[in-house]
Amino acid sequence: MENNGQASASGAPPKPWERAGASSSGPAPFRPPSAGNTSDVVEASGTAQPGEVVSTTNTNVNRNTVGRPVPARPWEQQQTYGSTYGGYGTGSGLNYNSGYGGGMYGSSYGGLGGGLGGGLGGGMYGSSMYRGGYGGLYGGGSGMYGGGMYGGGLGGPMGGYGMGMGGGPFGEQDPNNPYGPPSAPPSFWVSLMRVMHGVVNFFGRLAMLIDQNTQAFHMFMSALLQLFDRSGMLYGELARFVLRILGVRTKPKGVHPPGAEGLPGPHNMPGNQNYIEGPKAAPSGGWDSVWGDSK
Amino acid sequence: MPVFKTPFNGYSVKFSPFYENQVAVATAQNFGILGNGRVHVLQLGPTITERAAFDTADGVYDLCWSESHDSLIVAAVADGSLKIYDLSLPAAANPIRSLHEHARECHGVDFNTVRKDSFLSASWDDTVKLWTVDRPASVRTFKEHAYCVYAAAWNPRHADVFASASGDCTARIWDVREPGSTMILPAHEFEILACDWNKYDDCILATASVDKSIKVWDVRNYRVPVAVLNGHGYAVRKVKFSPHRGSMIASCSYDMSVCLWDYMVEDALVGRYDHHTEFAVGVDMSVLVEGLLASTGWDELVYVWQHGTDPRAP
Repeated sequence: MENNGQASASGAPPKPWERAGASSSGPAPFRPPSAGNTSDVVEASGTAQPGEVVSTTNTNVNRNTVGRPVPARPWEQQQTYGSTYGGYGTGSGLNYNSGYGGGMYGSSYGGLGGGLGGGLGGGMYGSSMYRGGYGGLYGGGSGMYGGGMYGGGLGGPMGGYGMGMGGGPFGEQDPNNPYGPPSAPPSFWVSLMRVMHGVVNFFGRLAMLIDQNTQAFHMFMSALLQLFDRSGMLYGELARFVLRILGVRTKPKGVHPPGAEGLPGPHNMPGNQNYIEGPKAAPSGGWDSVWGDSK
Repeated sequence: MPVFKTPFNGYSVKFSPFYENQVAVATAQNFGILGNGRVHVLQLGPTITERAAFDTADGVYDLCWSESHDSLIVAAVADGSLKIYDLSLPAAANPIRSLHEHARECHGVDFNTVRKDSFLSASWDDTVKLWTVDRPASVRTFKEHAYCVYAAAWNPRHADVFASASGDCTARIWDVREPGSTMILPAHEFEILACDWNKYDDCILATASVDKSIKVWDVRNYRVPVAVLNGHGYAVRKVKFSPHRGSMIASCSYDMSVCLWDYMVEDALVGRYDHHTEFAVGVDMSVLVEGLLASTGWDELVYVWQHGTDPRAP
């Protein structure tokens, strides 16, 4: 595999915008860049906090001026213990928030759902919550919510079931600690997903099979009926022939009244009216002028 | 251009800044809800072949190429860790580093293209972290957002400035030398999922939101957007300025389309590609080949095509 690029030592090749030269439609509101490498620059500014591990519980940092209410996070909503609830979608005026779920597997609830609807406004995060699947244990629960993205698209445009997308797997451990980080993914969730996949697949195939069978049956039946139809004609024709030979004179049936000649019908060639199954004369001629026959 | 099928749902795709024929793809199993992830490195040619693949225990939401070394990739993993892979090493020796400081899923990474020695990670624990390749711990943490941070993007012309996009409906602009953010843009009424800087004007920023719009802002006057690009039918997941044309923007959305925009002109929607059959969540424009686009989505396909051609054409 040959790569026709530059050597790696000096970093990536110059970007098109770097080759283009100076930028900007005016003075930028930024302080001029400092020289040196990033860690030195940050340390020189006195803002470095090397290796700070972000805590899950401590959210009391400087959160100035959001100006808008911020939705509660899925893992915070889990403080409402108890009844099962599944799909969650903050009210969207648009579309719908589908959400189903709830009580699968004992106390664990996996709400699959959330507003696919609109993707806007509503169902801003289809959240699926997972709880450790123990009887009444409040394992931290790991919420997964998507970056404003929802609705897993299993299914058609209606959204099938929106899986609150997102996120990932669960963090770590200790299912007994109500304030701890999310509980581990019980492996049966993985198997649940597989089972669901299998079930959906199965029903998909089943539906297809049923559909195909119905069609085949229909075609078979119509062919059969056509066969009977034709064999009836054959029988009539043969009977006429035999009777004629025997000297019995039969009246030719199905003579068309002149007016019916132009009507559409199978094998109704103009001037050739001897077919038995040709269009019958309308009882009272009531249909003759349906098409505005100009003849 | 050919298509590549990944075993998992695609989440992000990035062109190598070194080689025009290399693309890295981040994927996650089960739509990223739970399960494994995989980083693919693809070699472009008459067909797309896989050059390397790295498995992770959790979904991979984003990745970026190192700007200083052609074989390094940084991946943002759903367990909150950042993993650095070296393509020149065998799979058994990878990842060469796993940086685990975020408390929640890591949703975005971006490598500094000016100084080429540092990168940012945006996480659902509301923080952005600054890392350098030579240190095993983060250099500093930016905590101000009140909700998940979905993306962070370095200013392509200023080594110390970057922007972050958050679910608290704001985009913030930061200087790594300042203790707090230097600017807060209440950019949308709904969550902001992505942001990117204009490569030819260091004051122009684009944000993409759940409200289905992309807004272009001038940071010197951020009361009103320079342009509002409407046209996507659902939330816009990623936005990317062209490296070659100053006013060109690529975006992908949950309406399964990839759009190209020129925010300077009246009729901003330049192109629309409906080749994905599921949410399109990753898009990138090649730095080395003008007009070359890549996209991936939950339909587990990676497309690479030239702008103006049909991505599905064989």
